[in-house]
Amino acid sequence: MRFELTRIPSVKTLLKNRWPQLLIWFAMLAGFLFAIQAGLFGTTVGNRNFGIVFVWIAWWAVLILVAVPFFGRGWCAVCPISLPGEWLQRGAIMAPPVKKPRWLNLRWPNKLRNIWLQNLTFTLVALFSSVILTTPKVTAIVLAAMFFLAIGMSLVFERRTFCRYICPVGGFIGLYAQAAPLELRVKDKQVCLTCKDKPCYNGTTVELRGSSQAGYGCPWDVFPGGLTKNTYCGLCMECLRTCPYDNIAVNARPFSADLAKPSTRMDEAFKAFIMLGAAMVYAGVFLGPWGTLKLAAYSVGTTAWSVYAVAFLGFIFVLLPASFLGAVWIGKVFSRVKTTLKKSFTALATALVPLGLMFWVAFSLSFVLTNAAYIVSSLSDPFGWGWNLFGGAAFPWQPMLTSVLVPLQTLVLVGGLLWTATTARKASLEVNISAVPVIVFSTAVTIAMLGLLL
Amino acid sequence: MLAPLPVRASAPMQRTLRVEASQFAYAPAVLEVNPGDTVTIELVSKDVVHGLYLDGYGVSVMADPGQTASLTFTADKAGSFRFRCNVTCGALHPFMIGKIQVGPNTWLIRAIALTVIAGLAMLVLRPKLAKPEAG
Amino acid sequence: MKRSELLSRILIISGILLVLAVPFAAQGTRAQGVIEIHGRMAETGGWNPSTFQAKAGVPIHLRLTSEDVMHGFAIGQSDTPVVDVLPGQMTEMTITFDKPGTYTFYCTRWCGPNHWRMRGKIEVSGDTLESPEPGTAPLYMNLNLEIDAAHPAVVTPVGIPDAQRGKQFSGLLPAAYQSPDYYRSQSPAQAFEDLRADPILVSLKDAEIWDLVAYVWQSNSTPEGVVEGKRLFAQNCAACHGETGGGNGVFSGKIQALAGKIPANFTDPALMLGAAPALLQGKMLRGGMGTGMPSWGPILTEQQTWDIISYLYTFQFKENIARWGK
Repeated sequence: MRFELTRIPSVKTLLKNRWPQLLIWFAMLAGFLFAIQAGLFGTTVGNRNFGIVFVWIAWWAVLILVAVPFFGRGWCAVCPISLPGEWLQRGAIMAPPVKKPRWLNLRWPNKLRNIWLQNLTFTLVALFSSVILTTPKVTAIVLAAMFFLAIGMSLVFERRTFCRYICPVGGFIGLYAQAAPLELRVKDKQVCLTCKDKPCYNGTTVELRGSSQAGYGCPWDVFPGGLTKNTYCGLCMECLRTCPYDNIAVNARPFSADLAKPSTRMDEAFKAFIMLGAAMVYAGVFLGPWGTLKLAAYSVGTTAWSVYAVAFLGFIFVLLPASFLGAVWIGKVFSRVKTTLKKSFTALATALVPLGLMFWVAFSLSFVLTNAAYIVSSLSDPFGWGWNLFGGAAFPWQPMLTSVLVPLQTLVLVGGLLWTATTARKASLEVNISAVPVIVFSTAVTIAMLGLLL
Repeated sequence: MLAPLPVRASAPMQRTLRVEASQFAYAPAVLEVNPGDTVTIELVSKDVVHGLYLDGYGVSVMADPGQTASLTFTADKAGSFRFRCNVTCGALHPFMIGKIQVGPNTWLIRAIALTVIAGLAMLVLRPKLAKPEAG
Repeated sequence: MKRSELLSRILIISGILLVLAVPFAAQGTRAQGVIEIHGRMAETGGWNPSTFQAKAGVPIHLRLTSEDVMHGFAIGQSDTPVVDVLPGQMTEMTITFDKPGTYTFYCTRWCGPNHWRMRGKIEVSGDTLESPEPGTAPLYMNLNLEIDAAHPAVVTPVGIPDAQRGKQFSGLLPAAYQSPDYYRSQSPAQAFEDLRADPILVSLKDAEIWDLVAYVWQSNSTPEGVVEGKRLFAQNCAACHGETGGGNGVFSGKIQALAGKIPANFTDPALMLGAAPALLQGKMLRGGMGTGMPSWGPILTEQQTWDIISYLYTFQFKENIARWGK
């Protein structure tokens, strides 16, 4: 059940034309650089600094509550981090220039062609999140580091290797994009089979360079003709521009469509555990009443922090996966057909994708609704220097929609459980094991998350 | 599940609770009162100026170290409510949080019940699952 | 290159330069003659700048902000309004100093045990030809009081002396004991001994003599003064000395660690009744020799010190402000 959005002429024009995308990119890049400046030069008080408020409250809210659940990798389509590097790599901002610049264009090594590095970078951000989220200078440094790393990598490696293999955000956006109701796919695979040059992947030919039909090969290193899941397509629309047969479509589709095909990859399975576990730890550390825990998470370098770090890493890398493995194993014990434990594990870990997403939505709702008022004041006084650009500098702090929050979180978490259980059942059919223990596991962690949030 | 939970009926009383606030926690951090109680929270700041804002009730108070401040309200809404610091008091200020339980946490109990029912439903119900689409 | 490419490059580059220029442009357009002061807890820097200059009669414009917690700003021994200094927000104020001199500005909201160290100086220069008034030495110096020496009260009352009860004997009281000079230079215990030894009062019981002492103490202050003293105590002293004066304020633990003993316990009769007002004033003005007691000399006016002192004695003597003065 698909509805092709690019069938609508205005939608197709909007996506194919490079200007709308450029204007959005411009706004995002300006905001991003402004956030770094605010973090470096503005007040050290987090809730009065544009860098903190617009990254960890405004952007995060839009990302986790709207962009990821409804548009999958939609943020990647507008993210500014890769842009200067890519423009330098390509030698142009718009269509390919006649003369292509000579950068190293190295291929990313095979051993690293997975999301383990992204698992690592996200875990690092999560581990130091108490400091990052509350210290403007540190947020600025993290953003600047990502920015300059992306630029550097674009000049050494081909395509968007930072985005595909390093970016901490990209790791989970890709995973959760599988659940989104939006996709980019080819219309007819047969057409791709007969296509010789495959400009969607290789870029348009030299003859076309300098013309308006010219385009680049997929910066995400994906062959559109082979796309069956959203996980690694960054929705940059380049293939929409290059395909000479107009064979690329952007479709609206039911939620969760990609999850019907369970994953076989261990790196993706562990990403699911990292996200699930981190959401629970964040709920405890940031929203709980336990001051000792918060201080332990914040005081990097102390013994208390080391204990916290070990506990945090142990929880997401050992406890959760091990207990999940136990659940998978129990389900397997009663099955007649022989499937490997690894295949069953990765297949059923796919079921944790919706649950993890809903955990993050539920956690973020609390954090965002409590602090959204700061968005108004930091728009008017971004550096905390006493400006009042739009008259809102003195907008008081006031939690929003508090009466709605708890019912909403409940709905989100119970809905997530139902969604996950459905996915688990589908996945279990594929690998012929019982989904019962995994559903029990999911119910148990959902109850734990409710206890932490409510 | 939607029926009212059996509650030990207790007459509303006057309660005074002393809460110490320091960077970045309240002590005690979890308070328990009965619905209908007239609650007075005495906020004692131990290091810098802190505040206490109560979610759901929208009342707040602020205390300088050396000057205990009082907040009195009637706990007419039952359930679990977080209270937070509303005077910027350092880096972890947005996470300086405590909880007050007015009666049992009925919403949590109901949510857990709902979760268990949902889990059981998924274990028991056997709808016809459509075969996953090819490609 | 193509026109669209050129246009896009112009857009991106000029846009980025514009964004990058914003904070620097803002600094440049800052009004002349405005002094921006950033406050931090004393442990991490205090006021920045901590000294600045002004001219008598010329208004100065201040912009105050905090970089960590809530602070306040006031000028010692002056009736310049007190303002809050909020984290990440600007408070603006204009002050005009009439007389040249060195003024102390200080934080008015407790921000840690070193809050009282958060002070700065304003050097106000002037054209006036009048020479600066010579400072007057505090009373304890003129009386040669050893303010660091222990001063236990040799005698303490049984029960709480009541000034109202003592009032009934006030007719018997010789004039010498009623002067402010007497009150300021004697501790209540000394006053008790003097009164006890006076032949006119020989018929009174000890408790009644103590009541009379309480009356003498009370008559050297006003209800407004005690109320003001209570307010100043709550704002400046209670954080260490305790809201009920018992030396058990929220910072008493830190003081104990620093100085080896807790702040003075004003509810202790042996301590309090052996202290003369001048001695208390001396301790207050000079501060502590490593005890953590702040020096309030540049901050409090003389009247304010007497007001606080009159409040301190209410921990020992029964006060009924409402009934008083009748």
